[in-house]
Amino acid sequence: MIKKKTPGYWVLNVISIFLAVLFIGPVVWALAVSFQIEGKQIVSVFDWFTPPYTLQNYPEIVMNSSVPTWLKNSLIIAVVTTGLTVIFSALAAYALAKLPFKGSNVVFMYFMLGLMVPGEATIVPLFITVNGMHLIDSYAGMILPSIAGSMTLIIMVSFFKGLPTELLEAARIDGASELKTFFVIALPLSKTIISTVCIFSFIGSWNNYLWPLLCAMSEELFTLPIGIPTFAGTYTVDYVRPLTASMVASLPMIIIYIIFEKQIVAGITAGAVKG
Amino acid sequence: MSKARKRRTFLTAVAFILPFFILYTVFTIWPVVQGFYVSLHKWGLMGKQSFIGFDNYAKFIGDKNFWKALKATTFFVIITTPMLVILAMVLAMLANRVTKMKKSLRIIFYLPSVLSVSVASFVAKYVFTPYRGLVNGVLHATGILAASEEPQWLQDPNLVWITISVMTVWWTIGFSMLLYLSALQDISFDIYEAAMIDGATSKQQLFYITIPLLKPTIWLVSLLQLIACFKVFGQIQLITGGGPGSTTRPLIQYIYETAFGKNNMGYAAAMSYVLFAILLVLSIVQQVLQNRGED
Repeated sequence: MIKKKTPGYWVLNVISIFLAVLFIGPVVWALAVSFQIEGKQIVSVFDWFTPPYTLQNYPEIVMNSSVPTWLKNSLIIAVVTTGLTVIFSALAAYALAKLPFKGSNVVFMYFMLGLMVPGEATIVPLFITVNGMHLIDSYAGMILPSIAGSMTLIIMVSFFKGLPTELLEAARIDGASELKTFFVIALPLSKTIISTVCIFSFIGSWNNYLWPLLCAMSEELFTLPIGIPTFAGTYTVDYVRPLTASMVASLPMIIIYIIFEKQIVAGITAGAVKG
Repeated sequence: MSKARKRRTFLTAVAFILPFFILYTVFTIWPVVQGFYVSLHKWGLMGKQSFIGFDNYAKFIGDKNFWKALKATTFFVIITTPMLVILAMVLAMLANRVTKMKKSLRIIFYLPSVLSVSVASFVAKYVFTPYRGLVNGVLHATGILAASEEPQWLQDPNLVWITISVMTVWWTIGFSMLLYLSALQDISFDIYEAAMIDGATSKQQLFYITIPLLKPTIWLVSLLQLIACFKVFGQIQLITGGGPGSTTRPLIQYIYETAFGKNNMGYAAAMSYVLFAILLVLSIVQQVLQNRGED
């Protein structure tokens, strides 16, 4: 169907472009600043965007700061959290959906309670608990509390319930153990739901702020969200170093997002609507 | 099923559930119980000091800082949530129009949400810094602001709320926009076609078809954003540190400072229960509405 292009069409186009500029403006500006030479005289806002440019800020940050360490920590924590979340949630969800046993309903109800518990409101006792286990200031302390989430489990249970039981029965009759049936039959059929959970869990871990702020005490264990703010000195007048560090921390995510936009968006929407 | 097989199934199920069960119990459920226990004590970073009953709860009733933090949080919720709910709908509608920019708009509106809270706050802080920051720079360059005026976006007790609120909308609106977008795509084109045949203008289509059909999503987004805004902490702590003074200090920051700055875990745990209660009510309302929407 071809619509006539009315004046309203163009007005809405202009509004769209204006809003798009507002949304992307700060990021473009931060990127532009990261190519500026430190100490440049800034008279008007245009000076942030005009040459001379330099590429030196990036190697400077990567070589002479802890950003690479923090990047490594963020990656390790996000990857391990995501992996364990998927395995443990899938195993539990599969048992609740496909292995009939007495009391399975009670267990499911118990797992749903977590929906009512906001992590922010239990941060103090969580700290006491983790401290009691001597896991403060360790990878384990940062990873373990974020694995078992009610939302993920519920999404997975409802997915596994939809899997045809005949397929699993067939494998069992062939003598496959339950663990083998799970890994060889059930998991490969759940690729979409698993990728949704992965995206959720990875982004959640990557952006987690409050818990690592409490749990990571030593600088070598900082994640990017905790480390980046240390670039702001109390009396800093320098824009270039902090914003370059911000870009180093964000560009990988921005690039991944632009490439996998479709999958990420599908994952986020599916998770929110089903949850 | 034979008895032996039943038993085997049971044991397998237990083994499958166990890892999740342990982590869930230790890190999600136990802290809720433990928190209550802690709140009944004088409790420092080093551990339990003495049992004081409900003194910690009696304390916050007379604590001006607590009420100030609760007021600041509520104020933030009131000014930010409506912006998020309405603007997200506008963005979704714009990004859902049939134009060449459709895909780019979608990517751009969601892009800030990809940034972590510290980067988003950092960028916002520099954007709003006077003299060399982006906002005042653009306002000067376009002549909206006289060259002599220099609004203090991070220092002025009134302007600072605009800064935080605008930053939060910019940073978090993508998620709500996606929810609206998926709802918009579920509306069948036939409805619009029928309306057009009947001669409905696009304005009428918007107010009599699109918005009524988006109603469940509007509710969902409102409640999700109410809950999210009540939990505000990171961006305020990073942009203003709760300042100037303690004007913008939200509840979570006050709890955090009480527990780890003033070494008073017991009192912090008691205050956490207030936050818990508020969020609990909101999330029950959300669950009820969402289940009703699905039926």
